[in-house]
Amino acid sequence: SVEGDAIKVYVRVRPPSERTVLADGDQGLCLSVLSSNTIRLHSKPEPKIFTFDYVADMETTQESVFSSVAKNIVESCMNGYNGTIFAYGQTGSGKTFTMMGPSDSDNFTHSLRGVIPRSFEYLFFLIEREKEKAGSGKSFLCKCSFIEIYNEQIFDLLDSASAGLFLREHIKKGVFVDGAVEQVLSSAAEAYQVLTMGWRNRRVASTSMNRESSRSHAVFTITVESMEKNNEVVNIRSSLLNLVDLAGSERQKDTHTEGLRLKEAGNINRSLSCLGQVITALVDVGNGKQRHICYRDSKLTFLLRDSLGGNAKTSIIANVHPGSRCFGETLSTLNFAQRAKLIKNKAVVNEDTQGNVS
Amino acid sequence: MAAVGGGWAGVCEKFRTARTLSAVESRKDPETEPYRSKYSARALLQEVKQLLSAAEEGGEARLLAVRRAVLEYELGVNHTDTEELSAGEEHLQRCTQLLEPHRLSPDCVSLYIQAQNNLGILWSERDEIKTAQIYLESAEALYNQYMKEDGNPPLDPSEHFMTEEEKLTDQERSKRFEKAYTHTLYYLAQVYQHLEMIEKAAQYCHTTLKRQLEYCGYYPVEWALNAATLSQYYLSKQCFMEARHCLAAASVIFSQAGQVPSAEDNEMEQDQQDLRQRKAEIARCWIKYCLNLLQSARKLLEDNIRELDPDRQLELKAQRKKEEDEKEKGRKKAVLFGSSEICDSVLAIEEKVSSVYPLDFQEAREIFLVGQNYVQEAKEFFQVDGYVTDHIEIVQDHSALFNVLAFFEEDYERRCKMHKRRIDMLEPLYADLNPQYYLLISRQLQFELADTYYEMMDLKIAIGNRLEELDSHTIKKINSLAQLAIKYYELFLDSLRNPDKVFPEKLGEDVLRPAMVAKFHIARLYGKLITSDSKKQLENMQISLEYYTFLVDYCEKYPDAVHVIETELELSKEMVGLLPTRMERLRAKLCPFI
Repeated sequence: SVEGDAIKVYVRVRPPSERTVLADGDQGLCLSVLSSNTIRLHSKPEPKIFTFDYVADMETTQESVFSSVAKNIVESCMNGYNGTIFAYGQTGSGKTFTMMGPSDSDNFTHSLRGVIPRSFEYLFFLIEREKEKAGSGKSFLCKCSFIEIYNEQIFDLLDSASAGLFLREHIKKGVFVDGAVEQVLSSAAEAYQVLTMGWRNRRVASTSMNRESSRSHAVFTITVESMEKNNEVVNIRSSLLNLVDLAGSERQKDTHTEGLRLKEAGNINRSLSCLGQVITALVDVGNGKQRHICYRDSKLTFLLRDSLGGNAKTSIIANVHPGSRCFGETLSTLNFAQRAKLIKNKAVVNEDTQGNVS
Repeated sequence: MAAVGGGWAGVCEKFRTARTLSAVESRKDPETEPYRSKYSARALLQEVKQLLSAAEEGGEARLLAVRRAVLEYELGVNHTDTEELSAGEEHLQRCTQLLEPHRLSPDCVSLYIQAQNNLGILWSERDEIKTAQIYLESAEALYNQYMKEDGNPPLDPSEHFMTEEEKLTDQERSKRFEKAYTHTLYYLAQVYQHLEMIEKAAQYCHTTLKRQLEYCGYYPVEWALNAATLSQYYLSKQCFMEARHCLAAASVIFSQAGQVPSAEDNEMEQDQQDLRQRKAEIARCWIKYCLNLLQSARKLLEDNIRELDPDRQLELKAQRKKEEDEKEKGRKKAVLFGSSEICDSVLAIEEKVSSVYPLDFQEAREIFLVGQNYVQEAKEFFQVDGYVTDHIEIVQDHSALFNVLAFFEEDYERRCKMHKRRIDMLEPLYADLNPQYYLLISRQLQFELADTYYEMMDLKIAIGNRLEELDSHTIKKINSLAQLAIKYYELFLDSLRNPDKVFPEKLGEDVLRPAMVAKFHIARLYGKLITSDSKKQLENMQISLEYYTFLVDYCEKYPDAVHVIETELELSKEMVGLLPTRMERLRAKLCPFI
């Protein structure tokens, strides 16, 4: 249905750090949660009300975030649909806490563990249940890969020695990272192990090459393949679950979140490398005419093209910090989330038969 | 010069160090202290400022004012770079105030323009684009006035802190001045884009490109891609001459980039790969050019049943003749790229393809062939293995080229063969494609295949109608084409079903029209199936009626849909009225005794 195709957008408000409350005086909060799907931003002169699919206030537990955001996606993944869960927000807004859990624990039984470990548990719980139900007739194969996109380059977090990888497309299998390591998984614990190992690689990389983790996007992908034997008919199904930790939103100056600012010309670099973006924007406005735009989407949007307005179920968790010092970032995060709600399964057909009724 | 006496060289040195810190060193600053070098540069500039005011002397007030302005400028840029906008604005304002009386003189004009550029940037950071626009437009006006009234290469701001022997050559001065102005235009292009003054923005992009070329401030590949993309803007405005000019220039400039010697080196290979991709991208822009030109010509020439209108054709040919007699008067309204040498190469490429609407098959074919060549070129890089989406898009363009060429073809048999070519290129791709990952393209292919079979069936009927009597071979052909068209329309409609295989109650805006057209065409196709078996005929009419009824019912339920399929709806209503009577008559014939 039309409704089901839209991207679901969840907003989560983290508790303010103690410092924020003290420093900012009178509560120091720039927003209040009105209900389970509306939020009010204390902007001046008029406060702004935003509506989302779900708003989690500071008291919301990890378990309830998981149930409302991810449960349904993991379930449809079992039914052969691709699913994607994004976390978006400025650095320090609680993305990692939401997705992974408390940073000091590698233990995935921790009561505060995040969406990702809970998704693993639920996925393997569902797989076990299916297997029991179907007996020997049905088997599953789970594989995962974990990559990082930094500066428009792709790195394999499961193979820290690898150089930059490339995105390619396969007519049957869709978009894939050419040469990325795929690890077979047999349990949630194993998945969690792979994840934490890769996550550590991400941080190691951040010191040795002077990268900061919040500047890169990390994409953890699980492929679930099921094979069902019914008499002589073999039914194979395959689907992807992408768990994405986006770079801090304040770093994404080159994406559409930026608003009206002008791109500056580098004084040393002789090229005005952003001119292309301006021209692309001009062509974008063009009215349904046949055209080709030379500049590709970013690596991230290309990899997740299917999830952004494609044939998949997608949720975005927009994390915000309630402190009034974060007002600007919070506003831009909420605006982004608002726009994301409009993204739909856009499968428009090139159709040129208007009036052809002879 | 005596102002700071022997210390002048030292002052210059400090100033230079500050600039190096700001422009070069700051790039290496650690993540934790991103503005370290900028802050050191700022401290040096403040020092220089103090030295200057300490050495105040009566006679050289103007000189001092200009030097101060340079410092205010540098401090202003420094503060904006470090996100201290208000302080930055104060400095820049002070700079322009100091220069105001001298802004048209050769030692100040460049600095003044750059200060205004930076004020423009600063206001855009505050999301006040209109204010930015005022500064940038005034910088543009000042450049024009200076060039008109003086025009000599003006001093570069940095020269105010150089010793005599270090001063720049006129050539270097001019280069830097022109670059500052190019930046003004580049910022204005962005301002106009943000203000949605699209046409103006395009014009400023075009001029920026032209100036980059003139002053050699460009990377060939990047420039070529920008020009090729700009051509796509012109296409959307139906400006074919401008579009062709951009594309020809893109091809010429791109060829400058290709002279990297091939090497075993891995990185080199990557660069080569990159170059090949860019080349293919430009080819794809050319394909769109040919396609748009043909399609626009078709729009001009078609009559109300979408066939070529010979009267219109004669009229347009006469009109063109008249215009040719007036001898390309309109030409070169657009800004041309490049100096004489480049210009000649661009013209040579332009000559290979027309930019006026083709009016008959011969002319259409020439454009088609150019487009087809670019299809081959683009496919060399965008192979299906690795570039599924791009590859299929190119094949779709190829199919569209055949489709529009067929419009100009008078012979129906040959026209039919052209459509068969489309089937042959699309069908195997469709068969391999996994709709789980390529839903959009998959739907597009389903629809296009359906339409093509539909078109072929219509042609076969038209050919058949010329015969005395339909032979069994033609009947079989017509029926099988109709069945195939139905099959693909149904596949398309099935793709709209939800996971539980239910057809949506209400169709999304984006698929509404195609879904309705598919239903409508299926209804018509069942009406066209030829059979001698009356019972079968009755069944077909029944299905046909159901599909027509779907359209009518849907539009009754959702009146918003009406305007999307007005013509089809009208005919459907008519058929819903007619068909039951016809079926009644047929039934009566079948069982005459009841």
